[in-house]
Amino acid sequence: MDTTPVHLIEVTPRELPGLQDTRGESIRSMLLADHNLTIGTVRSITGYQVKARLSGEQLLQSLQDLFTDPIIEQGTVNNSLLDVPEIFPNPPDLAIMIGFKPGVTDNAAQAALDGLLTLFPEQEEALISTTMTYLFWDLPDDLDLHWLANTLHNPMIERAAMAKPEQCADSIWPQLPFPERPPAAFTTPATIDLEVDDETLIQISEEGLLALNLEEMQAVQGHYRKPDIQIQREQLGLPPRAPTDVELECLAQTWSEHCSHKIFAAKIHHIDTVTGEDTEINSLFKTHIMQPTLDMQQQVDWLLSIFHDNSGVIEWTKDWSLCIKAETHNSPSALDPFGGAMTGIVGVNRDILGTGLGARPIANMDVFCFGPPDFSGHLPGGLFHPSRVLRGVHAGIRAGGNESGIPTVNGAIVFDDRFIGKPLVYAGTVGIMPRHLPDGRESHDKTPEPGDIVYMLGGRVGSDGIHGATFSSLELTEESPSSAVQIGDPITQKKMLDMVLEARDAGLIQVITDNGAGGLSSSVGEMAELTGGAELDLAVVPLKQPGLSPWEILVSESQERMTVGVRQNDVEAFEALAKLHEVEATAVGTFTNSGAFIVKHGESTVAHLPMDFMHDGCPQLKLESEWTPPVHENPIYPNVDAEGMGSILERIMARPNIASKEWWVRQYDHEVIAQSVIKPFCGVNHDAPGDAAVIAPLHGETRGAVVSCGIVPRYSDIDAYAMTAASIDEAVRNAVCVGVDLDKIAGLDNFCWPDPIESEKTPDGRYKLAQLVRSNRALDDVCRAYNLPCISGKDSMKNDAKLDGQKISIPPTLLYTVLGDHQDVRKAVSSDFKDCGDTIFLLGETHQELGASELSYMLAEETGGGIGNDVPQIDTTRNLALYRALTSAMDEGLVRSAHDCSDGGLAVAIAECCFGCDGGTTITLDGLEDVDNWAALFGETLGRIVVTVTPENVQRFGNIMGNHSVTKLGQVGDKETLEFTRDGETVLSANLTTLLASWKGTLHMGGDV
Amino acid sequence: MAETVRVAVLYGFGINCDHETKAVFEMAGAEADRIHVNELVNGDKTLADYHIMAVPGGFSFGDHLGSGRLLGNRLRFGIRDMVQDFVKAGKLVIGICNGFQVLVKMGLLPGDEDVSLTQTASLTLNNTGHYEDRWVHLEFDPNSPCVWTKGLERIRVPVRHGEGKFVTSIEANLDEWAENGQLVVRYIDPSDTYPSASDDLLPFPICPNASMRNIAGVCDPTGRVFGLMPHPEANHSTWLGATWTREMPEHGEGEGMQIFHNAVKFAKEHL
Repeated sequence: MDTTPVHLIEVTPRELPGLQDTRGESIRSMLLADHNLTIGTVRSITGYQVKARLSGEQLLQSLQDLFTDPIIEQGTVNNSLLDVPEIFPNPPDLAIMIGFKPGVTDNAAQAALDGLLTLFPEQEEALISTTMTYLFWDLPDDLDLHWLANTLHNPMIERAAMAKPEQCADSIWPQLPFPERPPAAFTTPATIDLEVDDETLIQISEEGLLALNLEEMQAVQGHYRKPDIQIQREQLGLPPRAPTDVELECLAQTWSEHCSHKIFAAKIHHIDTVTGEDTEINSLFKTHIMQPTLDMQQQVDWLLSIFHDNSGVIEWTKDWSLCIKAETHNSPSALDPFGGAMTGIVGVNRDILGTGLGARPIANMDVFCFGPPDFSGHLPGGLFHPSRVLRGVHAGIRAGGNESGIPTVNGAIVFDDRFIGKPLVYAGTVGIMPRHLPDGRESHDKTPEPGDIVYMLGGRVGSDGIHGATFSSLELTEESPSSAVQIGDPITQKKMLDMVLEARDAGLIQVITDNGAGGLSSSVGEMAELTGGAELDLAVVPLKQPGLSPWEILVSESQERMTVGVRQNDVEAFEALAKLHEVEATAVGTFTNSGAFIVKHGESTVAHLPMDFMHDGCPQLKLESEWTPPVHENPIYPNVDAEGMGSILERIMARPNIASKEWWVRQYDHEVIAQSVIKPFCGVNHDAPGDAAVIAPLHGETRGAVVSCGIVPRYSDIDAYAMTAASIDEAVRNAVCVGVDLDKIAGLDNFCWPDPIESEKTPDGRYKLAQLVRSNRALDDVCRAYNLPCISGKDSMKNDAKLDGQKISIPPTLLYTVLGDHQDVRKAVSSDFKDCGDTIFLLGETHQELGASELSYMLAEETGGGIGNDVPQIDTTRNLALYRALTSAMDEGLVRSAHDCSDGGLAVAIAECCFGCDGGTTITLDGLEDVDNWAALFGETLGRIVVTVTPENVQRFGNIMGNHSVTKLGQVGDKETLEFTRDGETVLSANLTTLLASWKGTLHMGGDV
Repeated sequence: MAETVRVAVLYGFGINCDHETKAVFEMAGAEADRIHVNELVNGDKTLADYHIMAVPGGFSFGDHLGSGRLLGNRLRFGIRDMVQDFVKAGKLVIGICNGFQVLVKMGLLPGDEDVSLTQTASLTLNNTGHYEDRWVHLEFDPNSPCVWTKGLERIRVPVRHGEGKFVTSIEANLDEWAENGQLVVRYIDPSDTYPSASDDLLPFPICPNASMRNIAGVCDPTGRVFGLMPHPEANHSTWLGATWTREMPEHGEGEGMQIFHNAVKFAKEHL
């Protein structure tokens, strides 16, 4: 029996002049901001449950030297702080203690344990867990205390204990037991009999969370019916006619939608009821994403590694390459916004670290889609309110990025009611690697050989994160498993990152990949393709808790792990480096050329899967697609005067999609690494929005890289082709605004779709698949036209939620990210208007295109009517020629500012530029002859950019722009108002300070969690 | 007289700004090595081989148990003598952001004549309750003994922290440090005429964290150990400024570089 005592250490801020209990204060202001709840005082107590044999003297020393700050904090050992009258003279009205459930990652506890070992190195067996207790005074009388507790913790990963007012009055304080991790029940591999009827096959898949369909289950069944396979298995001592659970789980991971992108690989029968088209598409991915890029690869020499690795790699300079990847972490973020988002960002960082022989992550991009933060409609049970999702996801991304020392340079937040069911959390990362390593190898190529040792590096394997890959291939339901949720550990990962990059430069790495979806089954299974096989021993894999069964060890997605192949001769050096960095490195197997992935547990073989069956055995899906365009009602335009139009602009500026995200974005470190040239904010007061990030990653050098993105899910309501074209054009246009080199731009496509497979639960599957077909065709058309190869991407295809019997599907959404070259960052351009008197131009044509515009949605919400049908159409030839002319003018130093004109139209773009110089102006719409005032002010026609030019350069600028559409709008001013005129009449008038306040107010959500 | 000034830039356990910190010392003419903290603890390397020790910014141990506490303890308990010998030998130390937090929590700053490693101040959560990245204006005390800040009046650099509020529990400490010129750098309002550093708390975001007396950084009594929350290394070149596109500067070194030049020059002449 375990008799180790648990000591309770409690810490709280001291009350000193000028000091506050900031954690308590943050909770107080969060409750006020999100729930309009006024509470007198909130205080906080941090608790440490220390399970260790420590003397009284040691406990006291640890309190002084480790757990409390001697200047600003006070603490107690084995005695509640609340019982110390000098500290809390008046008992609180309510106390809520929150701690983690057993087995959930507790990073503060891990740090505390490290600190304890610094003081007492012999305490290797010690365990620590942390708690947070909030104390409340002056609560509203009618407050539902359980609601409050649930607002402060997530029952999926945390526990809460509460002392209600009567208990507080009796000095009975909340307590939580030490979160003992329950021993796992080891089960020897079972044999799964597949000689059953089809119904039972499906039942096996569903009950095991395998997410395999009937055809796929039958393919597995068929494999075990082959006589040669049966003979071979008999010889190996494996069940000859049926898979072990290890094998079935491994196949389910490898064949999951998440890992093998079955919908993009499917054979699709596509019908267009308008054109009469009736065709078959053999893999959207191969046809519309891969083929255009392969064709472009014939034309350029800088596409180094595309599609097959963890991220796409381009040659940037002759000495350095850049790589880029974005992932989504939607399902985990719905269940635990903080943990889900954090594992998302640190997970995609590992994709960069696992590219080639290892790349250094240097920039993050984070794009979210949420329900509106002020959502007041019916929220189905099991869903968090969008404001809580926003806070949690943001905090997870912030912690993951900031603590890892990777700047968040670019991103977006999009709001729509339909994202309340499943939020979209896109996390992307750019990496840098030397073109060649000191030993001469090209660092983007993996070079494993049979005989290389397989190392598992970093974190240990636990029961957390089992079935993440298959789970994300299912829709979200009330039964979604908590084991699919994890919390990231950036510090373990940072230590590993430091170590891996040194190992790379020392030539110790033959092959590397991350352990993400599917765990070791995917990482080793995929790399084994390079040598033709691998052998793995699960018995030596270090575990977080003993007793995990073999299949669990194989598929667990426990975080912060890399799998590395090391030559036998380098093993000693590799392990020494791991020891220096305090990174756990364990040899768990060997790469072979046996043609099979062999998994052992100690002496016994638990899985033997031929490589070709594992990677090519999954049958191709056959799907039906049918396109009939939707028809929407037209918007109802109110009859308003210039002030009324000003008020409309003010309301648009305040809409969450348009509103300033500064309060959130400032909380990301966007400048670590000291490379940030064009930042998320610009302008005289540092509050005007930047269009794209420009970084100069080589310190002191002026060569740069550009990162930008585009995302417009609204347009899918009319046509996913237009949505896709607009997203790509926006990403490119943003990059153009800062002066990208259009001869070297590469793209990332990240699709998030609702389930597009027709079935009983998805009766509109054909339409949703047709949207996907049209989206892919737009991607093909636009990328080819812009010479924009897609070098990596990802799809997430089951973004539906079914809760309370209600199905909520997201609007089809493409995030398009551009990574481009910048020849000289000293010529980069920012969006803010600069000096009074500079001439303002609109570049690009404006058409009568208000369909699915931000204005249409606002009017539909305010006064009824529809979103219209005239969604912006793309003209790639016209746009690209204009973009090229503009970047030439920038290269000549003729452009003082450039701002993308998109969401909300020209009026919004001009207002944002004015914020940058803190001055309003008068804009004439006289040059926009072919459109009405609504389209001129709020239309979102693609291919448009607002620029300014100093008066002396106007003529040279005009010469370079030649015949492209250049419309003079006015001059930069310093007025208090922003006005738009047409034919001498004012058509819109607004006070700039009011506009700024509207724009900043919506998403400023004080407080924090 | 050092012919080559050698800088030990510490890293490991979540220090993040080691590469750019190494880079700025090299731009200032020094030779800089990234040294893993464990290489000092296990005796593979020694600070004695260096003239300057830099503890860069980052999130050592995730800021858990208070920023800088755990890394500070690793140094305070792991290489106590080495650090004391280094400082007593008159060599230079800089801590930036998390590095400053480390130096304060281990008692090296504001410090004392004996280098006793006793903590007398702290850095705590910003009053806003969260981490922020924003640019600030700094002003330097011209009468400070700090060798790192000689000749500096005002510079613009970013702050990037959640725990940058400089506090102490004894008011008299602040007076004493002020007297000694140890309150070497403060947040100021750029619209005020130089010199404007003041003890009266400036509003957010001018003082981004509600530091007592708007303190952004301090030095020890000798002026050789220096730490600050803002990031001078992040403004090593003009094209990294917050508003450089408005100013059309003659491109070159950024406003943060003088600090590193000062140190390298001092080390060259005196160490």
